[in-house]
Amino acid sequence: MDGYNFAYLDEQTKRMIRRALLKAVAIPGYQVPFGGREMPMPYGWGTGGVQLTASILGADDILKVIDQGADDTTNAVSIRHFFQRVAGVETTTATTAADVIQTRHRIPETPLRAGQILVFQVPIPEPLRFIEPSEQETRLMHALEEYGVMHVKLYEDIARYGHIATTYAYPVKVDGRYVMDPSPIPKFDNPKLDGNPALMLFGAGREKRLYAIPPHTRVESLDFEDHPFEIQRWEHSCALCGSDRSYLDEVITDDKGGRMFVCSDTDYCQTRRGEVA
Amino acid sequence: MDKEMTVKTEMTRDLVWPGLADPAHDSQRLFRQILGAMSEPGTLTTLAVPAPPQAAPSDALGAALWGVILTLCDLETRVWIAADLDSPPLREALTFHTGARITDDPANADFALLTHESFDPQTPFALGSDTYPDRGTTLLVAVERLDNAGPLSLSGPGIETTRALDIGDSPGCRALMDRLAANRASFPRGLDMIFGCGAQLAAVPRSTRVDSREVN
Repeated sequence: MDGYNFAYLDEQTKRMIRRALLKAVAIPGYQVPFGGREMPMPYGWGTGGVQLTASILGADDILKVIDQGADDTTNAVSIRHFFQRVAGVETTTATTAADVIQTRHRIPETPLRAGQILVFQVPIPEPLRFIEPSEQETRLMHALEEYGVMHVKLYEDIARYGHIATTYAYPVKVDGRYVMDPSPIPKFDNPKLDGNPALMLFGAGREKRLYAIPPHTRVESLDFEDHPFEIQRWEHSCALCGSDRSYLDEVITDDKGGRMFVCSDTDYCQTRRGEVA
Repeated sequence: MDKEMTVKTEMTRDLVWPGLADPAHDSQRLFRQILGAMSEPGTLTTLAVPAPPQAAPSDALGAALWGVILTLCDLETRVWIAADLDSPPLREALTFHTGARITDDPANADFALLTHESFDPQTPFALGSDTYPDRGTTLLVAVERLDNAGPLSLSGPGIETTRALDIGDSPGCRALMDRLAANRASFPRGLDMIFGCGAQLAAVPRSTRVDSREVN
Protein backbone atom coordinates (compact mmCIF):
# COMPACT_ATOMS: atom_id res chain seq x y z
CA MET A 1 0.00 0.00 0.00
CA ASP A 2 3.07 2.25 0.17
CA GLY A 3 2.97 5.17 -2.22
CA TYR A 4 -0.81 5.25 -2.50
CA ASN A 5 -3.48 6.99 -0.50
CA PHE A 6 -5.93 4.54 1.08
CA ALA A 7 -8.08 3.04 -1.73
CA TYR A 8 -5.94 4.65 -4.46
CA LEU A 9 -7.90 7.90 -5.02
CA ASP A 10 -6.73 11.13 -3.39
CA GLU A 11 -8.98 12.62 -0.71
CA GLN A 12 -10.18 15.54 -2.80
CA THR A 13 -11.36 13.23 -5.58
CA LYS A 14 -13.17 11.09 -3.02
CA ARG A 15 -14.90 14.18 -1.57
CA MET A 16 -16.02 15.25 -5.05
CA ILE A 17 -17.46 11.78 -5.73
CA ARG A 18 -19.03 11.65 -2.26
CA ARG A 19 -20.83 14.98 -2.79
CA ALA A 20 -22.09 13.71 -6.15
CA LEU A 21 -23.26 10.46 -4.54
CA LEU A 22 -25.36 12.35 -1.97
CA LYS A 23 -27.09 14.26 -4.80
CA ALA A 24 -27.59 10.99 -6.71
CA VAL A 25 -29.29 9.47 -3.67
CA ALA A 26 -31.43 12.60 -3.22
CA ILE A 27 -32.65 12.42 -6.86
CA PRO A 28 -33.09 8.67 -7.47
CA GLY A 29 -32.33 7.61 -11.05
CA TYR A 30 -30.91 11.00 -12.12
CA GLN A 31 -27.43 10.87 -13.67
CA VAL A 32 -25.05 13.18 -11.77
CA PRO A 33 -21.97 14.29 -13.73
CA PHE A 34 -18.70 13.82 -11.86
CA GLY A 35 -15.04 14.50 -12.56
CA GLY A 36 -14.05 10.95 -13.44
CA ARG A 37 -10.36 10.25 -13.00
CA GLU A 38 -8.09 8.06 -15.06
CA MET A 39 -7.74 4.74 -13.32
CA PRO A 40 -4.97 2.19 -13.76
CA MET A 41 -7.22 0.05 -15.95
CA PRO A 42 -8.84 0.67 -19.33
CA TYR A 43 -12.34 2.09 -19.81
CA GLY A 44 -14.77 -0.79 -20.08
CA TRP A 45 -13.12 -2.60 -17.17
CA GLY A 46 -15.23 -0.97 -14.53
CA THR A 47 -13.44 2.34 -13.94
CA GLY A 48 -16.71 4.00 -12.87
CA GLY A 49 -17.57 1.27 -10.38
CA VAL A 50 -13.99 1.24 -9.09
CA GLN A 51 -14.06 5.00 -8.40
CA LEU A 52 -17.34 4.68 -6.50
CA THR A 53 -16.08 1.71 -4.51
CA ALA A 54 -12.84 3.58 -3.71
CA SER A 55 -14.87 6.55 -2.43
CA ILE A 56 -17.10 4.55 -0.07
CA LEU A 57 -14.79 1.73 1.01
CA GLY A 58 -13.48 1.68 4.58
CA ALA A 59 -10.69 -0.30 6.19
CA ASP A 60 -13.22 -2.46 8.09
CA ASP A 61 -15.37 -3.28 5.04
CA ILE A 62 -15.49 -6.72 3.49
CA LEU A 63 -15.52 -6.49 -0.30
CA LYS A 64 -16.96 -8.87 -2.89
CA VAL A 65 -16.47 -8.38 -6.63
CA ILE A 66 -18.42 -10.26 -9.29
CA ASP A 67 -18.30 -10.32 -13.07
CA GLN A 68 -21.48 -11.70 -14.68
CA GLY A 69 -22.25 -13.34 -11.34
CA ALA A 70 -18.90 -15.09 -11.02
CA ASP A 71 -16.22 -14.35 -8.42
CA ASP A 72 -13.48 -16.09 -10.39
CA THR A 73 -13.51 -14.42 -13.80
CA THR A 74 -10.83 -12.01 -15.04
CA ASN A 75 -12.54 -8.68 -14.31
CA ALA A 76 -13.65 -9.75 -10.82
CA VAL A 77 -10.25 -11.15 -9.89
CA SER A 78 -8.32 -8.11 -11.11
CA ILE A 79 -10.57 -5.58 -9.33
CA ARG A 80 -10.53 -7.66 -6.14
CA HIS A 81 -6.74 -7.77 -6.23
CA PHE A 82 -6.64 -4.04 -6.94
CA PHE A 83 -8.51 -3.24 -3.72
CA GLN A 84 -6.59 -5.81 -1.71
CA ARG A 85 -3.46 -4.02 -2.79
CA VAL A 86 -4.45 -0.35 -2.51
CA ALA A 87 -6.84 -0.57 0.46
CA GLY A 88 -5.76 -3.74 2.21
CA VAL A 89 -9.41 -4.68 2.77
CA GLU A 90 -10.68 -8.14 3.50
CA THR A 91 -12.43 -9.78 0.55
CA THR A 92 -14.99 -12.52 0.31
CA THR A 93 -16.95 -14.46 -2.28
CA ALA A 94 -19.94 -14.93 0.06
CA THR A 95 -22.77 -12.51 -0.76
CA THR A 96 -24.04 -12.62 2.84
CA ALA A 97 -20.63 -11.72 4.32
CA ALA A 98 -19.95 -8.70 2.09
CA ASP A 99 -20.49 -5.06 3.09
CA VAL A 100 -19.74 -3.69 -0.38
CA ILE A 101 -20.32 -5.68 -3.57
CA GLN A 102 -18.99 -4.36 -6.86
CA THR A 103 -20.74 -6.01 -9.77
CA ARG A 104 -20.45 -6.22 -13.51
CA HIS A 105 -23.84 -7.02 -15.06
CA ARG A 106 -25.55 -9.15 -12.39
CA ILE A 107 -27.38 -8.83 -9.07
CA PRO A 108 -26.60 -11.74 -6.73
CA GLU A 109 -29.30 -14.41 -6.39
CA THR A 110 -29.02 -14.36 -2.58
CA PRO A 111 -31.27 -11.52 -1.35
CA LEU A 112 -29.30 -8.49 -0.18
CA ARG A 113 -29.80 -7.08 3.30
CA ALA A 114 -30.10 -3.57 4.73
CA GLY A 115 -26.71 -1.91 5.11
CA GLN A 116 -25.12 -3.59 2.11
CA ILE A 117 -24.06 -1.44 -0.85
CA LEU A 118 -24.12 -2.78 -4.40
CA VAL A 119 -21.90 -0.88 -6.87
CA PHE A 120 -22.69 -1.41 -10.57
CA GLN A 121 -20.24 -0.92 -13.43
CA VAL A 122 -22.03 0.97 -16.20
CA PRO A 123 -20.83 1.27 -19.82
CA ILE A 124 -23.49 3.67 -21.18
CA PRO A 125 -25.57 5.34 -18.46
CA GLU A 126 -28.04 7.10 -20.75
CA PRO A 127 -31.01 4.84 -21.61
CA LEU A 128 -32.10 7.26 -24.36
CA ARG A 129 -28.66 7.40 -26.03
CA PHE A 130 -29.41 4.90 -28.82
CA ILE A 131 -32.52 6.88 -29.69
CA GLU A 132 -31.09 10.39 -29.28
CA PRO A 133 -27.33 10.86 -29.64
CA SER A 134 -27.26 14.44 -28.31
CA GLU A 135 -26.56 14.81 -24.57
CA GLN A 136 -28.27 18.20 -24.57
CA GLU A 137 -31.42 16.64 -26.02
CA THR A 138 -31.49 13.65 -23.68
CA ARG A 139 -31.05 15.97 -20.66
CA LEU A 140 -34.01 18.00 -21.87
CA MET A 141 -36.02 14.81 -22.41
CA HIS A 142 -35.32 13.77 -18.81
CA ALA A 143 -36.22 17.26 -17.57
CA LEU A 144 -39.55 17.16 -19.42
CA GLU A 145 -40.23 13.48 -18.63
CA GLU A 146 -40.37 13.01 -22.39
CA TYR A 147 -40.10 9.23 -22.38
CA GLY A 148 -42.51 8.29 -25.15
CA VAL A 149 -39.69 7.26 -27.48
CA MET A 150 -38.62 4.58 -24.99
CA HIS A 151 -42.02 2.94 -25.32
CA VAL A 152 -41.81 3.30 -29.10
CA LYS A 153 -38.53 1.38 -29.03
CA LEU A 154 -40.12 -1.42 -27.00
CA TYR A 155 -43.16 -1.36 -29.29
CA GLU A 156 -40.92 -1.78 -32.33
CA ASP A 157 -39.74 -5.04 -30.74
CA ILE A 158 -43.34 -6.20 -30.47
CA ALA A 159 -44.08 -5.19 -34.08
CA ARG A 160 -41.02 -7.07 -35.33
CA TYR A 161 -40.79 -10.12 -33.05
CA GLY A 162 -44.20 -10.35 -31.41
CA HIS A 163 -42.75 -9.73 -27.96
CA ILE A 164 -40.38 -7.30 -26.22
CA ALA A 165 -37.00 -8.65 -27.33
CA THR A 166 -34.85 -6.45 -25.07
CA THR A 167 -33.18 -8.93 -22.72
CA TYR A 168 -30.56 -6.89 -20.88
CA ALA A 169 -30.13 -3.22 -19.89
CA TYR A 170 -33.93 -3.22 -19.80
CA PRO A 171 -35.08 0.34 -19.00
CA VAL A 172 -36.72 1.05 -15.65
CA LYS A 173 -38.57 3.98 -14.11
CA VAL A 174 -37.33 4.95 -10.65
CA ASP A 175 -39.84 6.22 -8.07
CA GLY A 176 -42.24 7.14 -10.88
CA ARG A 177 -39.95 9.81 -12.30
CA TYR A 178 -36.61 9.11 -14.01
CA VAL A 179 -36.16 6.46 -16.68
CA MET A 180 -32.85 4.76 -15.92
CA ASP A 181 -30.52 2.23 -17.50
CA PRO A 182 -29.99 -0.47 -14.85
CA SER A 183 -26.63 -1.29 -16.56
CA PRO A 184 -26.46 -4.42 -18.76
CA ILE A 185 -27.91 -6.75 -16.13
CA PRO A 186 -30.23 -9.39 -17.61
CA LYS A 187 -33.87 -8.36 -17.32
CA PHE A 188 -34.10 -11.43 -15.06
CA ASP A 189 -32.52 -9.20 -12.37
CA ASN A 190 -34.84 -6.20 -12.87
CA PRO A 191 -37.40 -7.30 -10.24
CA LYS A 192 -34.58 -7.34 -7.65
CA LEU A 193 -34.14 -3.57 -8.15
CA ASP A 194 -37.63 -2.91 -6.80
CA GLY A 195 -37.84 -2.31 -3.05
CA ASN A 196 -34.40 -3.77 -2.43
CA PRO A 197 -33.24 -3.13 1.17
CA ALA A 198 -29.64 -2.49 -0.03
CA LEU A 199 -28.35 0.79 -1.44
CA MET A 200 -27.52 0.54 -5.16
CA LEU A 201 -24.96 2.87 -6.75
CA PHE A 202 -24.10 3.04 -10.45
CA GLY A 203 -20.84 4.39 -11.88
CA ALA A 204 -19.92 5.05 -15.51
CA GLY A 205 -16.21 5.91 -15.82
CA ARG A 206 -15.91 6.79 -19.50
CA GLU A 207 -19.15 8.81 -19.50
CA LYS A 208 -18.39 10.30 -16.05
CA ARG A 209 -21.87 9.84 -14.65
CA LEU A 210 -23.09 8.28 -11.43
CA TYR A 211 -26.59 7.54 -10.18
CA ALA A 212 -28.34 5.70 -7.38
CA ILE A 213 -31.36 3.79 -6.18
CA PRO A 214 -31.87 4.21 -2.42
CA PRO A 215 -33.17 1.22 -0.41
CA HIS A 216 -36.90 0.44 -0.59
CA THR A 217 -37.40 2.46 -3.78
CA ARG A 218 -40.13 1.71 -6.31
CA VAL A 219 -38.50 0.57 -9.56
CA GLU A 220 -40.75 -0.46 -12.45
CA SER A 221 -39.64 -2.06 -15.70
CA LEU A 222 -41.29 -0.30 -18.65
CA ASP A 223 -43.96 -2.38 -20.39
CA PHE A 224 -47.46 -2.33 -21.91
CA GLU A 225 -50.76 -3.45 -20.44
CA ASP A 226 -51.15 -6.11 -23.14
CA HIS A 227 -47.42 -6.98 -23.16
CA PRO A 228 -46.46 -7.02 -19.48
CA PHE A 229 -42.83 -7.22 -18.42
CA GLU A 230 -41.58 -10.80 -18.19
CA ILE A 231 -38.26 -12.28 -17.11
CA GLN A 232 -36.31 -15.03 -18.85
CA ARG A 233 -37.23 -18.64 -18.08
CA TRP A 234 -35.40 -21.86 -18.80
CA GLU A 235 -36.57 -25.39 -19.45
CA HIS A 236 -33.43 -26.56 -17.67
CA SER A 237 -32.24 -26.54 -14.09
CA CYS A 238 -28.64 -25.82 -13.11
CA ALA A 239 -26.55 -28.90 -14.03
CA LEU A 240 -24.42 -28.44 -10.91
CA CYS A 241 -26.77 -27.42 -8.08
CA GLY A 242 -30.16 -28.19 -9.59
CA SER A 243 -31.60 -24.71 -8.98
CA ASP A 244 -34.64 -23.96 -11.11
CA ARG A 245 -34.90 -20.30 -10.10
CA SER A 246 -31.49 -18.81 -10.84
CA TYR A 247 -30.09 -17.13 -13.95
CA LEU A 248 -28.44 -19.82 -16.09
CA ASP A 249 -25.43 -19.60 -18.42
CA GLU A 250 -25.19 -21.99 -21.36
CA VAL A 251 -21.76 -23.66 -21.39
CA ILE A 252 -20.44 -25.51 -24.46
CA THR A 253 -18.73 -28.69 -23.26
CA ASP A 254 -17.32 -30.21 -26.49
CA ASP A 255 -17.27 -29.68 -30.25
CA LYS A 256 -20.09 -32.15 -30.89
CA GLY A 257 -22.93 -29.94 -29.70
CA GLY A 258 -22.67 -30.92 -26.06
CA ARG A 259 -23.75 -28.21 -23.62
CA MET A 260 -24.91 -27.66 -20.10
CA PHE A 261 -26.72 -24.94 -18.18
CA VAL A 262 -25.18 -23.69 -14.94
CA CYS A 263 -25.89 -20.86 -12.48
CA SER A 264 -24.23 -17.59 -13.45
CA ASP A 265 -23.93 -16.74 -9.71
CA THR A 266 -21.02 -18.91 -8.56
CA ASP A 267 -21.44 -18.13 -4.84
CA TYR A 268 -25.13 -19.09 -4.95
CA CYS A 269 -24.35 -22.30 -6.84
CA GLN A 270 -21.47 -23.32 -4.56
CA THR A 271 -23.44 -22.55 -1.41
CA ARG A 272 -26.25 -24.76 -2.69
CA ARG A 273 -23.78 -27.55 -3.39
CA GLY A 274 -22.49 -27.22 0.16
CA GLU A 275 -19.03 -26.43 -1.09
CA VAL A 276 -18.61 -23.04 0.45
CA ALA A 277 -15.20 -22.74 2.04
CA MET B 1 -17.33 0.46 17.22
CA ASP B 2 -16.18 3.98 16.49
CA LYS B 3 -12.66 4.56 17.54
CA GLU B 4 -11.81 7.51 19.75
CA MET B 5 -10.38 10.44 17.94
CA THR B 6 -7.69 12.54 19.42
CA VAL B 7 -8.47 16.20 19.20
CA LYS B 8 -5.99 18.15 17.19
CA THR B 9 -4.56 21.15 18.91
CA GLU B 10 -4.51 23.75 16.18
CA MET B 11 -5.63 26.97 17.74
CA THR B 12 -7.94 29.41 16.11
CA ARG B 13 -8.02 32.42 18.37
CA ASP B 14 -8.20 31.04 21.87
CA LEU B 15 -10.73 28.29 21.12
CA VAL B 16 -10.00 24.94 19.53
CA TRP B 17 -11.95 24.01 16.44
CA PRO B 18 -11.09 20.34 16.04
CA GLY B 19 -10.18 18.72 12.73
CA LEU B 20 -10.19 15.04 11.80
CA ALA B 21 -7.31 13.18 13.41
CA ASP B 22 -7.02 10.67 10.58
CA PRO B 23 -8.51 12.44 7.54
CA ALA B 24 -8.68 9.48 5.12
CA HIS B 25 -10.32 7.00 7.49
CA ASP B 26 -12.32 9.39 9.66
CA SER B 27 -13.91 11.12 6.66
CA GLN B 28 -14.72 7.73 5.09
CA ARG B 29 -16.45 6.56 8.27
CA LEU B 30 -18.37 9.84 8.60
CA PHE B 31 -19.32 9.83 4.92
CA ARG B 32 -20.79 6.34 5.18
CA GLN B 33 -22.95 7.55 8.08
CA ILE B 34 -24.05 10.61 6.09
CA LEU B 35 -24.73 8.44 3.03
CA GLY B 36 -26.76 6.10 5.21
CA ALA B 37 -28.75 9.03 6.63
CA MET B 38 -29.42 10.44 3.15
CA SER B 39 -30.41 7.09 1.64
CA GLU B 40 -32.75 6.24 4.54
CA PRO B 41 -34.39 9.62 5.25
CA GLY B 42 -35.27 10.36 8.84
CA THR B 43 -33.07 7.69 10.41
CA LEU B 44 -31.00 9.02 13.30
CA THR B 45 -27.29 8.46 13.49
CA THR B 46 -24.69 9.72 15.93
CA LEU B 47 -21.41 10.97 14.53
CA ALA B 48 -18.31 10.38 16.62
CA VAL B 49 -16.60 13.71 16.01
CA PRO B 50 -15.04 16.20 18.39
CA ALA B 51 -17.42 19.07 19.11
CA PRO B 52 -16.72 22.67 18.16
CA PRO B 53 -15.93 25.01 21.07
CA GLN B 54 -18.68 25.45 23.65
CA ALA B 55 -19.10 29.17 23.10
CA ALA B 56 -21.74 31.17 21.31
CA PRO B 57 -22.43 31.14 18.47
CA SER B 58 -20.46 28.05 17.49
CA ASP B 59 -22.07 25.75 20.06
CA ALA B 60 -25.34 26.12 18.17
CA LEU B 61 -23.76 24.40 15.16
CA GLY B 62 -23.13 21.12 17.00
CA ALA B 63 -20.64 18.33 16.49
CA ALA B 64 -22.59 16.44 13.81
CA LEU B 65 -22.81 19.35 11.36
CA TRP B 66 -19.17 20.27 11.98
CA GLY B 67 -18.35 16.66 11.09
CA VAL B 68 -20.39 16.96 7.87
CA ILE B 69 -18.45 20.11 6.95
CA LEU B 70 -15.08 18.44 7.61
CA THR B 71 -16.16 15.42 5.52
CA LEU B 72 -17.67 17.15 2.49
CA CYS B 73 -16.21 20.65 2.13
CA ASP B 74 -13.00 21.55 0.36
CA LEU B 75 -11.63 24.27 -1.89
CA GLU B 76 -14.15 23.32 -4.59
CA THR B 77 -17.16 24.15 -2.42
CA ARG B 78 -18.82 27.41 -1.51
CA VAL B 79 -20.41 27.77 1.90
CA TRP B 80 -23.05 30.27 2.98
CA ILE B 81 -23.35 31.01 6.69
CA ALA B 82 -26.49 32.39 8.33
CA ALA B 83 -26.01 35.54 10.39
CA ASP B 84 -26.78 33.85 13.73
CA LEU B 85 -23.98 31.30 13.25
CA ASP B 86 -21.48 33.57 11.60
CA SER B 87 -18.39 34.49 13.56
CA PRO B 88 -14.75 35.14 12.73
CA PRO B 89 -13.59 31.96 14.54
CA LEU B 90 -16.03 29.80 12.50
CA ARG B 91 -14.88 31.42 9.26
CA GLU B 92 -11.24 30.91 10.19
CA ALA B 93 -11.78 27.31 11.23
CA LEU B 94 -13.75 26.53 8.07
CA THR B 95 -11.07 28.02 5.86
CA PHE B 96 -8.25 26.47 7.86
CA HIS B 97 -9.59 22.90 7.95
CA THR B 98 -11.34 22.65 4.57
CA GLY B 99 -10.18 25.50 2.34
CA ALA B 100 -13.84 26.10 1.42
CA ARG B 101 -14.80 29.49 0.02
CA ILE B 102 -17.34 31.47 1.98
CA THR B 103 -20.03 33.18 -0.07
CA ASP B 104 -22.60 35.84 0.73
CA ASP B 105 -24.87 34.68 -2.08
CA PRO B 106 -27.14 31.77 -1.04
CA ALA B 107 -27.97 31.06 -4.70
CA ASN B 108 -24.29 30.38 -5.27
CA ALA B 109 -23.72 28.10 -2.27
CA ASP B 110 -23.09 24.36 -2.33
CA PHE B 111 -23.71 24.17 1.42
CA ALA B 112 -25.57 26.52 3.72
CA LEU B 113 -25.09 26.59 7.48
CA LEU B 114 -28.07 27.74 9.50
CA THR B 115 -30.18 27.08 12.55
CA HIS B 116 -33.92 26.51 12.76
CA GLU B 117 -34.17 30.00 14.23
CA SER B 118 -32.52 31.65 11.25
CA PHE B 119 -34.31 29.63 8.59
CA ASP B 120 -36.21 31.89 6.24
CA PRO B 121 -38.22 30.20 3.47
CA GLN B 122 -37.61 33.26 1.32
CA THR B 123 -33.81 32.84 1.22
CA PRO B 124 -33.01 32.17 -2.45
CA PHE B 125 -30.95 28.99 -2.12
CA ALA B 126 -30.05 27.18 -5.35
CA LEU B 127 -32.62 24.53 -6.27
CA GLY B 128 -30.74 23.25 -9.30
CA SER B 129 -32.16 23.47 -12.80
CA ASP B 130 -34.55 21.09 -14.56
CA THR B 131 -31.65 19.71 -16.61
CA TYR B 132 -29.10 19.77 -13.76
CA PRO B 133 -31.15 19.37 -10.55
CA ASP B 134 -28.02 18.24 -8.67
CA ARG B 135 -26.69 21.82 -8.70
CA GLY B 136 -28.64 22.81 -5.61
CA THR B 137 -27.68 23.96 -2.14
CA THR B 138 -27.52 21.34 0.61
CA LEU B 139 -28.81 22.88 3.84
CA LEU B 140 -27.04 21.95 7.06
CA VAL B 141 -29.49 22.96 9.77
CA ALA B 142 -29.10 22.85 13.54
CA VAL B 143 -32.53 21.92 14.92
CA GLU B 144 -34.16 21.79 18.37
CA ARG B 145 -34.20 18.00 18.66
CA LEU B 146 -34.17 14.83 16.59
CA ASP B 147 -36.61 12.09 17.39
CA ASN B 148 -38.49 9.40 15.49
CA ALA B 149 -41.88 10.40 16.86
CA GLY B 150 -44.51 13.07 16.36
CA PRO B 151 -47.12 13.93 13.79
CA LEU B 152 -44.90 14.31 10.73
CA SER B 153 -44.51 11.21 8.64
CA LEU B 154 -41.96 10.68 5.89
CA SER B 155 -42.35 8.26 2.99
CA GLY B 156 -40.76 7.67 -0.39
CA PRO B 157 -37.37 6.31 -1.52
CA GLY B 158 -35.32 4.91 1.35
CA ILE B 159 -38.36 4.34 3.56
CA GLU B 160 -40.09 0.96 3.55
CA THR B 161 -43.46 2.23 4.76
CA THR B 162 -43.39 5.48 6.74
CA ARG B 163 -41.03 7.01 9.29
CA ALA B 164 -41.85 9.69 11.85
CA LEU B 165 -39.45 12.57 12.33
CA ASP B 166 -39.62 15.34 14.91
CA ILE B 167 -37.17 18.24 14.64
CA GLY B 168 -38.83 20.59 17.13
CA ASP B 169 -41.82 22.84 17.76
CA SER B 170 -40.36 26.27 16.99
CA PRO B 171 -41.80 28.30 14.09
CA GLY B 172 -38.48 27.75 12.27
CA CYS B 173 -38.72 23.97 12.61
CA ARG B 174 -42.26 24.04 11.28
CA ALA B 175 -41.16 26.25 8.40
CA LEU B 176 -38.35 23.78 7.61
CA MET B 177 -40.76 20.83 7.39
CA ASP B 178 -43.18 22.92 5.31
CA ARG B 179 -40.34 23.76 2.97
CA LEU B 180 -39.46 20.06 2.66
CA ALA B 181 -43.08 19.21 1.93
CA ALA B 182 -43.02 21.84 -0.85
CA ASN B 183 -40.10 20.02 -2.53
CA ARG B 184 -42.54 17.62 -4.20
CA ALA B 185 -44.07 20.39 -6.28
CA SER B 186 -40.77 21.42 -7.84
CA PHE B 187 -39.14 17.97 -8.09
CA PRO B 188 -36.53 17.23 -9.41
CA ARG B 189 -35.49 20.75 -8.35
CA GLY B 190 -35.45 21.19 -4.61
CA LEU B 191 -33.57 21.50 -1.34
CA ASP B 192 -31.87 18.60 0.44
CA MET B 193 -31.45 19.06 4.17
CA ILE B 194 -29.14 17.54 6.74
CA PHE B 195 -30.29 18.15 10.32
CA GLY B 196 -27.94 18.20 13.28
CA CYS B 197 -28.64 18.29 16.99
CA GLY B 198 -25.45 17.94 19.02
CA ALA B 199 -23.74 14.82 17.68
CA GLN B 200 -27.00 13.45 16.24
CA LEU B 201 -27.78 13.67 12.57
CA ALA B 202 -30.66 12.96 10.18
CA ALA B 203 -31.27 13.87 6.55
CA VAL B 204 -34.32 14.53 4.41
CA PRO B 205 -33.63 14.75 0.67
CA ARG B 206 -35.99 16.30 -1.87
CA SER B 207 -37.33 12.89 -2.90
CA THR B 208 -39.06 12.42 0.48
CA ARG B 209 -42.80 13.02 0.87
CA VAL B 210 -43.60 14.86 4.09
CA ASP B 211 -47.15 14.37 5.38
CA SER B 212 -48.88 15.54 8.50
CA ARG B 213 -50.44 12.60 10.28
CA GLU B 214 -52.90 14.75 12.17
CA VAL B 215 -56.45 13.81 11.27
CA ASN B 216 -58.39 16.83 10.14
